[in-house]
Amino acid sequence: MERLRLKVQIAMAVLMNVGLFQLHFICMPVLNCHSCPVSLFGCPLGVIGQFSAVGLIPLTVIGVMALVGLVAGRILCGWVCPFGLVQELLYKIPYAKFSIPRWTRFIKYGVFGALVVAVPYFLTPESTLYFCRLCPVATIESSIPWAILQGTTNALHLSVRIVILIVIMILAMGHRRFFCKVLCPIGACMSLLNRFAAIFPERRSLCVDCSTCNKVCPMETVPNKNRFGVYDDMLEECINCLDCQKRCPTDAIRLWG
Amino acid sequence: MVRKIFFCILIILSVAMTAYGAFFRRLLVYDNLEKFDQLKNVGITIKIPGYQQADTEFKAQSEWFTEPEVVNAMTFAGISRYKDGQLISNYPDLRMLKGRRPCPS
Repeated sequence: MERLRLKVQIAMAVLMNVGLFQLHFICMPVLNCHSCPVSLFGCPLGVIGQFSAVGLIPLTVIGVMALVGLVAGRILCGWVCPFGLVQELLYKIPYAKFSIPRWTRFIKYGVFGALVVAVPYFLTPESTLYFCRLCPVATIESSIPWAILQGTTNALHLSVRIVILIVIMILAMGHRRFFCKVLCPIGACMSLLNRFAAIFPERRSLCVDCSTCNKVCPMETVPNKNRFGVYDDMLEECINCLDCQKRCPTDAIRLWG
Repeated sequence: MVRKIFFCILIILSVAMTAYGAFFRRLLVYDNLEKFDQLKNVGITIKIPGYQQADTEFKAQSEWFTEPEVVNAMTFAGISRYKDGQLISNYPDLRMLKGRRPCPS
């Protein structure tokens, strides 16, 4: 399953940055910057931020995100997001591994509320704290390529972005999918819908509590029998990677809730 | 059961939002004559219909955009809010907002 997922992630990363088409009126709910010279889809965060700056609600963007989240939770985080792939590859590098406190997963909701919605709304996109101006994916896919192609007029800003990118990459080397767990605003939006998603790994009565699923989970979740109303098991973090289902010794995990 | 009821309500809402936004919602956007004047003053001429007339008072052109068109324009920071709340193009001509490649962020 891990190999299949890796292949799908690579294929989707190539497809979304192939540069043959531009369908920016569609926002794919993954972190892939639409300022990239070759990007296929729009990034929902950039669009939500810009809509917020002009005082509008982007109904199609929120609707598409909600539809994807309700059908399959954070499946795009696990199978499609190019930055998720980058982080998983970074984690394979031998480096000091560390764990993070569980409460840090709530930081991403603050990042979404503050940097994606509130700052553009109150301070306009000209603020240097606007999320897109700090986003590590935008630095990789947009700022650095455009700086190489056309040069940059603001070397200080580019330097700050590169420093942020390097810090996040180092943290991703030490903790699996650090950015997804702690900082990703799209992950925050999709997490809210995970508890209602139709496709979602759930434990059946065959479970023998061996905790194999917990050990292999990249997001440190535990598939639960009763999803709704249980808030201490980090189920909202599940990215539907299906590693737990593949490794379960008693085949106790089913996909359809 | 509670989860499934929530699921049904949310999926109906999200389908309705997507359908309304994609097919029915329209937003009125004006072109940016100030930007046109700035470009004109530095010698760059862009033809805007109705703007080349010999009138002294010019009126900004306006056009209804669908939400997907606005989403596309937002990917290159093409629209901003004007002082009285109206949406205004960040480019002189509204046609520049359609099918344009993005700018670096």
